[in-house]
Amino acid sequence: MQYSQKVLDHFMHPHNVGKLDDANVTATEGSPACGDQVTFYLKINEESHVIEEIAFQSYGCASNIATASIVTDLVKGKTIEEAKTVSWKDATNELDGLPPVKMHCSVLAVDTLRLAIKKYELEHGLREPEPFTKETIIEELRSVIYPKAGEDIITLKMVKYVRLEEGVVTQP
Amino acid sequence: MERIYLDNCMTSKPDPEVISAMMPYYTEKYFFPGNFVSTGSSIQSDLDDFKQTIADSMGAKPGEIHFTSGGTSANNIGIKGFLMANSSKGTHIICSVIDYPDILTNAAFFEDSGFEVTYLNADFDGFVDMEELKAAIRPDTIMVMTTFANHVMGTIQPVKEMRKIMDESGHEIALFVDAGHAYGRIAIDVKEYGIDLMSVSAHKIHGPQGVGALYVRNGIQLSSSKHGINRIDALETGCISIPAIAGFAKAVQLQFSDLQAHIAKIISLRERLYKGIKENIPHILLNGPEGDKRIAHNLNVSFDYIEGEAIMMMLDVHSITVATGSACASQGLKPNYILMATGRNFVQSHGSIKFTLSRYNTEEEIDYVIEKLSQIVEELRSRSPLYKQK
Repeated sequence: MQYSQKVLDHFMHPHNVGKLDDANVTATEGSPACGDQVTFYLKINEESHVIEEIAFQSYGCASNIATASIVTDLVKGKTIEEAKTVSWKDATNELDGLPPVKMHCSVLAVDTLRLAIKKYELEHGLREPEPFTKETIIEELRSVIYPKAGEDIITLKMVKYVRLEEGVVTQP
Repeated sequence: MERIYLDNCMTSKPDPEVISAMMPYYTEKYFFPGNFVSTGSSIQSDLDDFKQTIADSMGAKPGEIHFTSGGTSANNIGIKGFLMANSSKGTHIICSVIDYPDILTNAAFFEDSGFEVTYLNADFDGFVDMEELKAAIRPDTIMVMTTFANHVMGTIQPVKEMRKIMDESGHEIALFVDAGHAYGRIAIDVKEYGIDLMSVSAHKIHGPQGVGALYVRNGIQLSSSKHGINRIDALETGCISIPAIAGFAKAVQLQFSDLQAHIAKIISLRERLYKGIKENIPHILLNGPEGDKRIAHNLNVSFDYIEGEAIMMMLDVHSITVATGSACASQGLKPNYILMATGRNFVQSHGSIKFTLSRYNTEEEIDYVIEKLSQIVEELRSRSPLYKQK
């Protein structure tokens, strides 16, 4: 099991790494407990909805950094509708593949991008807020690597509107 | 710069003299031991000499040494053999939550087979709790197992104190010690420590892979856990590589010829590395104790705000090999169980790097590692959202 040269290139020399001071939307997925966290900063043109600038920060492994880097390449200059069609498989293929145990990094990077776009759409009236249900919680925790990390994500207040009281998930 | 290898806890580079010592057993003396015929008897004589070398390195008698096909095999033969032979005396055993996987998986196996296991806790520096040991011993306790030097944190367990507590119980309890990471890095006299069974491995001390030894104190009863034909050893049945045994004996001769000088050199390199890290990199945590309670070749440091697999991979790009306790580098995607059990949080465990040195490392290499590591940590922290938040 080893990384492709492309993964190593993006890991050693990531594209669009850092913060964007004039971003109009940011999103973070993952958690330090999982050992994987990505933050995307996007500057989206409010008329054309084109992603003009994108940057990322990563707390994670080589493939976490490489997948975030490739996702920024894949969506920069695209409209949010086009960006939404970029899948974790596209990101993986663009890196000439990932070791099976590292596929979740691709999923995390694409999920973070989609969360950012969703936030942008909500803030700009392009989408109706969804009702908050048990399914929402499950969806939020979908990419969690193992259950203990799920508990930590809630304890760290990384999922909105959900609290953990004596081991029971509650909504305050 | 040639590759700088700092993962000697995993395996170590065979000494060229070891390879030379092995070669005749491939090319000319490719026989099995046997009686009467000159080919077989000459090999038997060589094996007796090799056994004497291993025995001398730990204060044992040659008859107490059994060659095995590695450290894990020695652990299995020792633990399974003892528990199967002695279950009529009791079915309670003790180990700790931070022991080597060979001990923990064997403990779990016997737990499933009707034994009761007490898992002792360890403190922040990785020392097994002696008060817990005292409290855990029962009339039906037949064995205590421990890892002499912890393979992750480098902590040297207070084995003599363990023995004393066990002796105070008033009944016979066997002390099983996995010394895979301690052997050749600290002087171990099995009689002085009161050890009943002890496993060691050749490839951790510049010997060949695939060979180890089990010390079994005279008087300790073991059942066979590996059934089959007795070629070289009655416990490790079938073939054991004789070239590997020859290499093992040579590695022991080299390592123990001036053990204290070897240890002093490695400690000096380790301290140089730790000092360099402390002086150049902020926000670090030493995992395991400082000073002489730490095994000579081990340094384990957590780097806050960044993840260990990324550090390890960047060091690898610069031709430096280390290990990490990060979940991202493990097949199970779980953080290291020892770091978690000794009070580290997820980030400290994920951000840990284990450097294990050898006599082949040089001061120049260590200085290069410090230089590259400092750059890498700074670079990765500049990319980390956790660091920016601080």
